[in-house]
Amino acid sequence: MAGNIKKLVLGFILLGAIGIAPRFLGIISLNMAVELAIGALFAVSLNLLLSYTGLLSFGHALFFGMGAYVMGISITYMDGITLIPAILMGSLAAGLTALIFTPLLVRVTGTAFSMLTMAFGQLMYVLCIKMRGITGGEDGLTLFDMPLLSVPGVFSLDMTDPATLYYTVMGVVLISIGCMWYFTKTPLGGVQAGIRDNAQRVEYLGFHVSASKAVIFIISGTFAGLAGCLAAIFQQVISVDGFLRINVSFMPIMAIMIGGLGHFLGPVIGTIFLMFLNQMAMRYTDKVELVFGIVFIMVVMYAPYGIHGLWVKARIYWGIFRHRKGALGKEERT
Amino acid sequence: MNPATAMYIIQALHGLAYGMLLFLVASGLTLIFGMVGILNMAHASLFMLSAYLCYQVLAFTNSFWMSLFLAPLITACLGLLLERFFLRKVQAHGLGHIAELLLTMGISMVIAESVKSIWGTESLVISIPPSLDGLASFAGIHYPIYRLFIIGLSFCILALLVTVLYKTKLGKIIRATASDPGMVSILGINTPKVFAGVFALGAWMAGVAGVAAAPMLTVFPGLADQVGMDAFVVVVVGGLGSLLGAFVVSLTLGELNSFGVQFIPKLAPVLVFGFMAIVLSLKPNGFFGEGDH
Repeated sequence: MAGNIKKLVLGFILLGAIGIAPRFLGIISLNMAVELAIGALFAVSLNLLLSYTGLLSFGHALFFGMGAYVMGISITYMDGITLIPAILMGSLAAGLTALIFTPLLVRVTGTAFSMLTMAFGQLMYVLCIKMRGITGGEDGLTLFDMPLLSVPGVFSLDMTDPATLYYTVMGVVLISIGCMWYFTKTPLGGVQAGIRDNAQRVEYLGFHVSASKAVIFIISGTFAGLAGCLAAIFQQVISVDGFLRINVSFMPIMAIMIGGLGHFLGPVIGTIFLMFLNQMAMRYTDKVELVFGIVFIMVVMYAPYGIHGLWVKARIYWGIFRHRKGALGKEERT
Repeated sequence: MNPATAMYIIQALHGLAYGMLLFLVASGLTLIFGMVGILNMAHASLFMLSAYLCYQVLAFTNSFWMSLFLAPLITACLGLLLERFFLRKVQAHGLGHIAELLLTMGISMVIAESVKSIWGTESLVISIPPSLDGLASFAGIHYPIYRLFIIGLSFCILALLVTVLYKTKLGKIIRATASDPGMVSILGINTPKVFAGVFALGAWMAGVAGVAAAPMLTVFPGLADQVGMDAFVVVVVGGLGSLLGAFVVSLTLGELNSFGVQFIPKLAPVLVFGFMAIVLSLKPNGFFGEGDH
C-alpha cells in the first residue's frame, strides 16, 4: 500500500515536471524531449512483443515507417485534410499492415520470427525506394505545410510551434503508454505472458495461442505506426533511411535491452540512456555506431537484464549487506 | 549459336556464379545454426571483412593466391575468438536466442564501423588476377574465366564439405552433435570443441566467399548488408539448419537475381523477398526445415 502511494506521488511529480518543463528548457532541449518521447513510445510498443510475448521483431521499422508514410502521403495528396484524420489513417494503416502479415507470422517462433519480420521490413524498404512516384524514392517526402491539428469550431493547434508540439506529443505518448500498460493488465495480457513462458501449456488450457499473438502483434504495430506519425510531424521529412532502415528497427531493441528486458518501463529508461549516449558520443567522436555497438555487446554480455536488472541485483546485495551487519551487531550484544 | 540462346546461357552462368557464392556464405550460416542454434548476424560482416583483408594482403604481397589463402584463415581465427570469448559466455545467460541474435548484431555493427574507419567509406577496386583474366570461348559463347573459376572453387568446397560431413568419422560426430548435443557429450566427446570447430569452418567459408567475390563485386562498407540479406533469405527459405536447402535455394536465388535483372530490372530486388514470402506462407519452416528451433 505504502509502495503504491509512493509510486502515485512519484508519478504526479513526474507529470508536473513534464508539464512545466517548457518554461525552463531551451528549444534544443525541448526538441530532445520530443524525440525522446517518440522513441520511448516506439520502444514500449516493441516491448509488448519482446518482453511480454517473447517475440523478437527485427522489422518493427516497417510499422513505424508505414504510419509515417501513410500520414505523409495523405497530407501531400489530399487537400484540406487536418492532422487528426491523417494521424488516424497512418496508425490504422500500420495496424492493417500488421493484420496482413499476421497469418504468416503467428505460425513461426524464435529465430524464424525474427528473420521473417526483418525480411518484411527490408521488403518495404526496397519497395519504398522503388515506388518513386508515390513515396519520393530516396529523396523522401517533405511536409512543407503542416496542417493544423484541429477539430473545426472546437480547437486548433499549430504543430510548427515547439511548445505546442511538445505538449501534444507528450499527451499522445503518455496516453498511448497508459493504454498499453492497461492492456498488459487485462486477462489477454496475462495470456501473452503465458505464451512467452510455455505456449504449449497455454494451448492445452484452451486459449488460442495464434489468435492472441495476432492481436498483440496488431496492437504493437498500431502504436508503432502512431510513433511513426509523431516522428514525421516532428521531423517534417519522411525518408526511407530515417524511417524504414534496419537501424530504425534496431534502436528500440537496444533501448529495451539496456533498460531491462521484462520490465514495462525498461524501454523508457533505455531510450533516455541511448539519447544521453548519443549526445556524448557525438560530442567526443565521429564513430557513434562503434560506441553503440560496443556498449551493446557489453550490455548483452555483462548485464543481460539491463539497468533494471542491475538495480534489482544492487538491492539484493544491499539487503544481504544490511542483514549481515544486523546479525553481527546482535552477536556483539549477546 | 542463336544470340538469344547464348544470352540465356550467359545469364544462367551469371546466376550460377552468384548462387554458388551465396551458397558459400549461407552454408556456413546454416551449419552454425543447425549445430549451435545461433543465427549469426555477424556472418555477412565476416564475409565483408575477408574481402577487405583480401585487398590488404594484395597490397602487401601482390599475390591473389596468397590472399585467397591468408584472408579466410584470419577470418576463421576471428570467428574462433568470437565463439570462444563472446557467444559461449552469452549462451550461459539462459536468455535463449534473443541474446545471441543481439550480440551478433552488435558485433556486426562494430565490424562495419571498424572497416569504415580502417579502409574508408569509398569502394575499393580489386583487379582480377592476370592468370584468371580474360574470356573463355566455347560453342560461340564468350564467358569471363574468373566467374568460371568461382563456380569451380565453390563446387570444390561443396564436395569437400559433403565428403567430410557424410563420409568421415568427424562428420558423423558433427551431425550427431547437431541433432543431440547432450547425448554426444555423455559419450565422451568434447562438444564445445566441436561447436567451436564448426563455427570456425563457417567463418572460413564466408572468408573464401569474401575473397572470391572481391574482384567480382566492388568492395564497400555496404557489402555485408547486400550479400547478408540474400544469405539470410537463403537460410530462412531453405530451412534453418538444412545444407541441402541452402544449396537449392542459393542457386534458385542466383538465377532469379540474374534473370530478374535481365527482364524486369526495376523489380529485381523485390523479386527475392516476394519469393521468400510465397515460400514461407506455404511452408513456414522453409523448404527443408524440420520444425521449430
